[in-house]
Amino acid sequence: MNLLKSEWRKLIYVRAHWGLLIAATLISMLSVAVTPFVLDSQEELFGFGLEQQEAVDSVYANGISGYIFVIILGIMLMAGEFRHGTAVATFLTAPKRGSVVLAKLAIAALGGVLLMLISSLFSFAAGFIALQSFPEAAAPSDDLFANTLIASVVAGAVLAVIGVSLGTLVRNQMLAIVGALVYLFIIDPLLLALLPDAGKWLPSGLITAMMSLEIDAPALGFDTSDYLPALTATLVLLGYGVVFAVTAWATSLKRDIE
Amino acid sequence: MSAAIVFDGLVKQYGKQKAVDNLTASVMAGRITGFLGPNGAGKSTSLRCLVGLSSPTQGSATILGSEYQSLENPLSRVGTVLDSRGFHPALTGKQNLRVVAAAAGIPDARVDEVLALVELTDAQNKRMKNYSLGMKQRLALAGAILGDPEILILDEPANGLDPAGIAWLRNFLRSLARDGRTILVSSHQLAELQNTVDDVIIIHKGKLIAQGTIDQVRGEGTLEEAFLRLTQGELS
Repeated sequence: MNLLKSEWRKLIYVRAHWGLLIAATLISMLSVAVTPFVLDSQEELFGFGLEQQEAVDSVYANGISGYIFVIILGIMLMAGEFRHGTAVATFLTAPKRGSVVLAKLAIAALGGVLLMLISSLFSFAAGFIALQSFPEAAAPSDDLFANTLIASVVAGAVLAVIGVSLGTLVRNQMLAIVGALVYLFIIDPLLLALLPDAGKWLPSGLITAMMSLEIDAPALGFDTSDYLPALTATLVLLGYGVVFAVTAWATSLKRDIE
Repeated sequence: MSAAIVFDGLVKQYGKQKAVDNLTASVMAGRITGFLGPNGAGKSTSLRCLVGLSSPTQGSATILGSEYQSLENPLSRVGTVLDSRGFHPALTGKQNLRVVAAAAGIPDARVDEVLALVELTDAQNKRMKNYSLGMKQRLALAGAILGDPEILILDEPANGLDPAGIAWLRNFLRSLARDGRTILVSSHQLAELQNTVDDVIIIHKGKLIAQGTIDQVRGEGTLEEAFLRLTQGELS
């Protein structure tokens, strides 16, 4: 309980963490708000327009974009301890390192969930406002908001856990963040495009699958029916979280703290 | 007189280099012990092994008869200052201590108390990166006494302090010792603490070269002369 309170204070005292929340919310809102305009102007390229439900669904689905910031949050929570030397005070106060890492994983997951909830709810509002410019726009599917929120929350928790684990393994904060971003922005999309059969097992593919979207855009080589079922995707993503968490827990126990 | 801290055949090896080489020494309860030696002698490494941040290659270092990791709520038994880097630069002095206090189950009111003891109340809401070196050292000392421990382990607490700061530190250590605390304080400046400490442990190149009361070790001259005699003028 004490360790959770301490980790919670670390989460809310550092202003950069609030910066990540604001950045995540703004980026998600922007990405949702511009999508209707892009879809409307490139209707022929995409092969569907806003009068179709799947197009409107894909607008709101961008509300999940904040997950990139969750992995950065997780990395900063852990690697920041080594960067600033606070790991010394942390592990002197609680020398049983496993409990510290567990408390940090729990608070990071909570932080990730809150960040995703806030950024996706604001994005839905932004999407709703943007779609007012398109009277012909269809209504979203009934379960779109629920599915996207569930996917956001699970992604938030799991990516925060993966971030903390990366921060434990790669104690250099910049290196861990750059590595995670290169992976998420370049390697993961490449694998998804080049090897859809393997790519759907990777984080971006899993997160998309969790939203249970039904979108078929052959011109973009994008068809959600290729993806895993939502429940399977959720379980696989949780599995990744567990593997990373156990790795973090096992390695941080042994190495010297400098 | 019982030993509060015991190094027993402690070895810490990095690659082929032994930073600490078979160190056996004891720190008596209720006394101020100076842990002396030139830079790179292995003092910090020994202390890191003592508080469980580094694991010994061989031997052991124990506090109150057990390993630091086995102490129940260690902050209430042992206060530690390793270097002034233990705090987050973007947090205020008070926030930094409240993070530690929460983890140790210490009430926030105690944070205000220790800030007053180290005379940082006026600067408590300043971010740590705006602190002077002396203020950082005092914040670190405040962190060490947060749990009102019976043992204090201080690694080079006088580093970077100006003469007024060193005088302040000396008085502060004396006032802590008056309450019967055990204090182990390291320094590479042999002369700096010779009027403050009761006992000394001197190490050189990872090895123990002398231990005893300050009078036993320095004999007729100063600690510096004793050190040069013991190492036969050999430069580190």
